[in-house]
Amino acid sequence: MAYKVVAMILAGGKGTRLESLTKKIAKPAVSFAAKYRIIDFPLSNCVNSDIYNIGVLTQYESTLLDNYLGNGEKWGLNGVHSSLSTLAPRQTEEGAKWYRGTADAITQNIDYLDAQDPDYVLILSGDHIYKTRFNDMIDLHIKSNADVTISVIEVDPKEASRFGIMAVNNKDEIVEFQEKPRVPKSNLASMGIYIFSWKILRRYLKEDDKNEESEHDFGKNIIPQMLEDKRKLQAYRFKGYWRDVGTLASLHEANMDIALGNKELDLYDNDNFLRIFSEDTPSVPQYIGEGGRITRSIANQGAIILGKVDSCVVSTNAIIEENAVCTRCVIMHGAKVLVNAKVNNAIIAPDAVVPSGAEINLNSDEIVLISGKGGAK
Amino acid sequence: MRKVLGICNLHDSPKLGLLTEKRPLAAVSFLGRYGLIDFTLSNFTNSGIDRVAILASDHLNSLRSHLARSETYIQNTRLGFQRIVFNEKYFSSPKFNTDIANLIANDSWFKELSDDYIVVAPAFYLLPIDLSKVIDEHIAKGAEASVVYTKCSHADIDFINGDTVELSKDGFVTAFGSNTGRKKEKDISIEIFVFNRQTFADLISRAREVSSLYNIRDMVKYCVANKLFKLNAYEYVGYVAPILSLEDYVRYSFELLDYANRQKLFLEDWPIYTTTHNTPPSLYGEKADVRNSFVANGSVINGKVHDSIISRGVVIEEGAEVKNCIVFSRSVIGKGAKLKYVLIDKDCHVENAKKLSGDEENIVYVKQGVVI
Repeated sequence: MAYKVVAMILAGGKGTRLESLTKKIAKPAVSFAAKYRIIDFPLSNCVNSDIYNIGVLTQYESTLLDNYLGNGEKWGLNGVHSSLSTLAPRQTEEGAKWYRGTADAITQNIDYLDAQDPDYVLILSGDHIYKTRFNDMIDLHIKSNADVTISVIEVDPKEASRFGIMAVNNKDEIVEFQEKPRVPKSNLASMGIYIFSWKILRRYLKEDDKNEESEHDFGKNIIPQMLEDKRKLQAYRFKGYWRDVGTLASLHEANMDIALGNKELDLYDNDNFLRIFSEDTPSVPQYIGEGGRITRSIANQGAIILGKVDSCVVSTNAIIEENAVCTRCVIMHGAKVLVNAKVNNAIIAPDAVVPSGAEINLNSDEIVLISGKGGAK
Repeated sequence: MRKVLGICNLHDSPKLGLLTEKRPLAAVSFLGRYGLIDFTLSNFTNSGIDRVAILASDHLNSLRSHLARSETYIQNTRLGFQRIVFNEKYFSSPKFNTDIANLIANDSWFKELSDDYIVVAPAFYLLPIDLSKVIDEHIAKGAEASVVYTKCSHADIDFINGDTVELSKDGFVTAFGSNTGRKKEKDISIEIFVFNRQTFADLISRAREVSSLYNIRDMVKYCVANKLFKLNAYEYVGYVAPILSLEDYVRYSFELLDYANRQKLFLEDWPIYTTTHNTPPSLYGEKADVRNSFVANGSVINGKVHDSIISRGVVIEEGAEVKNCIVFSRSVIGKGAKLKYVLIDKDCHVENAKKLSGDEENIVYVKQGVVI
């Protein structure tokens, strides 16, 4: 590679819509698909794109996330010319301040980026589930000579008003940006994935920093300003599986996609070499007991299944006891479903316990969160 | 603080039939996830022994690939180490390729070490043992050397040809014998030794004068027989799975499917560390019917799996029936195939509708990489 790309992953959000799941941990560190944490996906995507220098911007409840990221060894980022840096807000000569917005998080780390000296900066969100290589997007950015390239995905026009919508011309150049518009001008939603030429971004961040009215946000401030300045904004059409798992329902649904073997997000397709790297624990292989049943599900090492499990995600060291029945449940690591309990359409938080004989959410399509030791929240 | 060197001794490991034709016993897959050596290495780790030498006798490649990353087992990667040592000179002449010859060949490296105590343990006895307690007793009794033994109540089936020990009243070994399997109750050596540094050095140099074919175990017997040192006997109370033959390997694999047995080997505070492969969770399809089985990660199962052990990345297609089987990594069992008492080595492909069956006494073995 004749040019250098540094990725900056925004991982500081509080994720309040995930309720108590994110009470003590940052959203990107939330458990996903039995083995993973959400941030494994963007991190592995970077690694699979040969991007080996990554900054992770953390802020809210970052201890567990920092520990998890460590020296980046889980994603192979401990090698030569590789680095994984967690960048939390900190005290500086100018004082101390929290990250005021997504753009400000980068602004406060201009020194880090200057030291890395990249040609391009890839900005990602730490809480999206997708498998991709960014190489095509980077190529497009370079070939089209854009100042910024924004990854967009086609959404159902009826849903478009929930997203930041990009209107484009016939060369897929962005001509207008609408944040959650009532009347969307296109069905291309921004995925919050940007490639900037670093020199341009640096200039815009410096300007934005001085602007007291700005919310210091990419979507609300930086992108509209660049449009106003008639900069070249290129849209990159993303094809494939992509989910923002910001709510209990969307987190549950994305987990179900994996349990039910959705081919769009195939973790078993090694031909493509798009592997998702993560932590491996020293657990005994999963064990299915004499009276156990597991169908249309995934389970990770350490899981013990003595009851009945259908359409579920059974994470590391989770235990489903005798005669317990779980349907459409995301059972996070270390959670226990005790004897004779029945649970439907639930996310069972890490180390939570469903008491024996409990019947939870049996005839409902709504997703419930079970946390703590006593059962339903 | 006492300094302890752990030596995992792979010389003179039992042969497990065709399973050890192309790999050392240490690297034989166990319960779908482990290599047999993991249990000994985890005993070192969990006992706080962070300086480990592995005496390799053969099949270095497969051992190296299992032990690719020492940080899997080592707590501090600067102070600790895990080093594979082997005897270049005698690597291809098994007769002279003894553990002692290996130590002598690597003498310059061992001389640099300044450990007070040396623990030598083989890879074919699977047990959770706190070695720090063995060393404590060794020191408390002022011993020069110690051996770990266990009171076995089923010596007529287990530990056949293993070493038996005769004990004095104060718990020292007076004589060694061999377990012929005629009696149920026997005190059996599990071949874990603790030596003071000087005692160990003396034992190695004396071996040169005794026989170039003698190994550490022979020399310990020789020293006891000739009263050259007093050998303390440490009694281990707990679960041991001796893997001395292919039959043992199969029997203990299935025995550990039983939860009560498993809990004796996998203790809550005694994790077994192993090389990891970044495989995804296992995926179970609509037709999956899995009972009383271990399944390692990365497998895709849509058939019947009963009373079996399934390793990493195995595919069991729809309509396939796998009963009382052990299936190694990445093998594929085709649609409608029916297998009973079969051990399938890695990277095999069992074609659709194929039928294979052995029985409890004679498991059918399918060689690595075979299409059948």
